[in-house]
Amino acid sequence: MVTKSEEDQLNRLEAQVDNAGGGAWEYLCLVRKLKVRRPDKVLKHGLAILNDSKKRSALGTEEWTLCEQVAVAAMDCQSLDVAKDCIKVLRKRFPDSKRVGKLEGMLLEAKGLWAEAEKAYSSFLEDNPFDQVIHKRRVALAKAQGNITTAIECLNKYLDTFMADHDAWRELAEIYISLQMYKQAAFCYEELILSQPTNPLHHLAYADVLYTIGGLENLQAAKKYYASTINLTGGKNRRALFGVCLCTSAIGQLSKGRNKEDKDSPELQLLAVAALEKDYKQRAPGKLPLLTSALKSLRVSS
Amino acid sequence: MDKFRDCGDIKKDLRYLYTVQFWVFLVSRNANRGERKSRERERGAMAEDLVLDTAIRDWVLIPLSVVMVLIGVLRYFVSKLMRSAQIPDAKLVKEGQVIVRARNLRAAANFIPPKSFRARRLYYSNEENGLLYVPKGQAPNAQAQMFSDPNMAMDMMKKNLSMIIPQTLTFAWVNFFFSGFVAAKIPFPLTQRFRAMLQNGIDLSTVDVSYVSSRSWYFLNLFGLRGLFSIILGEENATDDTQRMMQMTGFGFDPTKPGC
Repeated sequence: MVTKSEEDQLNRLEAQVDNAGGGAWEYLCLVRKLKVRRPDKVLKHGLAILNDSKKRSALGTEEWTLCEQVAVAAMDCQSLDVAKDCIKVLRKRFPDSKRVGKLEGMLLEAKGLWAEAEKAYSSFLEDNPFDQVIHKRRVALAKAQGNITTAIECLNKYLDTFMADHDAWRELAEIYISLQMYKQAAFCYEELILSQPTNPLHHLAYADVLYTIGGLENLQAAKKYYASTINLTGGKNRRALFGVCLCTSAIGQLSKGRNKEDKDSPELQLLAVAALEKDYKQRAPGKLPLLTSALKSLRVSS
Repeated sequence: MDKFRDCGDIKKDLRYLYTVQFWVFLVSRNANRGERKSRERERGAMAEDLVLDTAIRDWVLIPLSVVMVLIGVLRYFVSKLMRSAQIPDAKLVKEGQVIVRARNLRAAANFIPPKSFRARRLYYSNEENGLLYVPKGQAPNAQAQMFSDPNMAMDMMKKNLSMIIPQTLTFAWVNFFFSGFVAAKIPFPLTQRFRAMLQNGIDLSTVDVSYVSSRSWYFLNLFGLRGLFSIILGEENATDDTQRMMQMTGFGFDPTKPGC
């Protein structure tokens, strides 16, 4: 997860580099470290460095990492010729490298030659059945072809062996959500929460899924997870605040007519509403009346 | 080779110094039997107050430490080169990952709904096909497994050799070149039992046990440079001998028996 300070630094470097202020190499290193996706900028500035032979020789051995980064960015922007050139250079330098092989597979994918790419990946997996990167590329291949079920199958098989890989769980959760298989998505989010309990995004996503599934128990759990998200983010997450209000009103609607003994106190909702109103007053005072009317309709009529 | 000639000079000087001190001690004892109590205190102070030449520090302590650091770095690189590309065993990889996942479950159990927790716990400890379930008595003894698997045995042998040989060589080198004189003074007092261990080259039995030979400096460095190596070479380095030595003694670990 990218922290706020890193995000600020990234934006600052980006602005600096865009205005031709130098610092392109630091920007590219930061992009690589944070694993953010900025293909157009990486391509533009990376290519500028690579084409300038003086700057290129100044990099030394880092030149090849830059080459790889530019190749991936080029494939992202569909400049396949640039990508092909970069890969050719890399292949000449590292003739027996699996990393270059993976790039070549990605190029085949980018060109749309699914069968060849599949063949290439399977041959890599025969050599080393525990190459995590190639497994994930196979899943991406299936997903790009639109074969979601194959993707799910491959991903499940991968997770059977490598069950501690939280990125894979996240991907699986997103795929399940896109297919509206919410129960399975909830399971995946639970795994994510187990591996990173202090990450508020997982709590938020889990709460969303629980709210979507519905049912009184799930709504109560969802409210708890929205509350924990608010706790973890220090009250700054507007989505969680809204979530709390929605959950409370939904619970109230569902339990209308039942005995009110085990009803939760309405304090949480009132607090959330107050926080939201304060936030809107600060940032978007024009939308405040919209907010108040929307929230009023959510008030549980007890 | 100049520094070793200087060491020979130091040896001569120190032996001279000891002998002088020793005779002074004897003479003063014989001469002043009457006032033994106060004299003994004085004599004690004189006899124990050995002046160590700074050349010892320059030519013995520092070179020894530097040589040990360099040997450690060399071993690290050699071990990196010699490490054969291991094809990980399918079962081991899966087991490792299962353990991580189970550990996460245990650590963060409070963060998921109780029903999910129970479901997962059953998944791991189910009697029929639980992933972590080990029936009593069937747990493979780690030591037996280690010796029966030829690849692992070879690896262990290689690692042990890479540890033993440099240690032996360095120890022999230290003994040959740096023996027979006092190398350092330990700042706290010790009992007489340590004399045999710490003062092997020094043949005078009256020298205070705090004055140690260079062999003890070697051992001090052996155990103490571990921290330095973990800073220089990163966390995983082959020079972590003490850990491996502890590992060798800690076998017989049976996970099904309680209290392990």
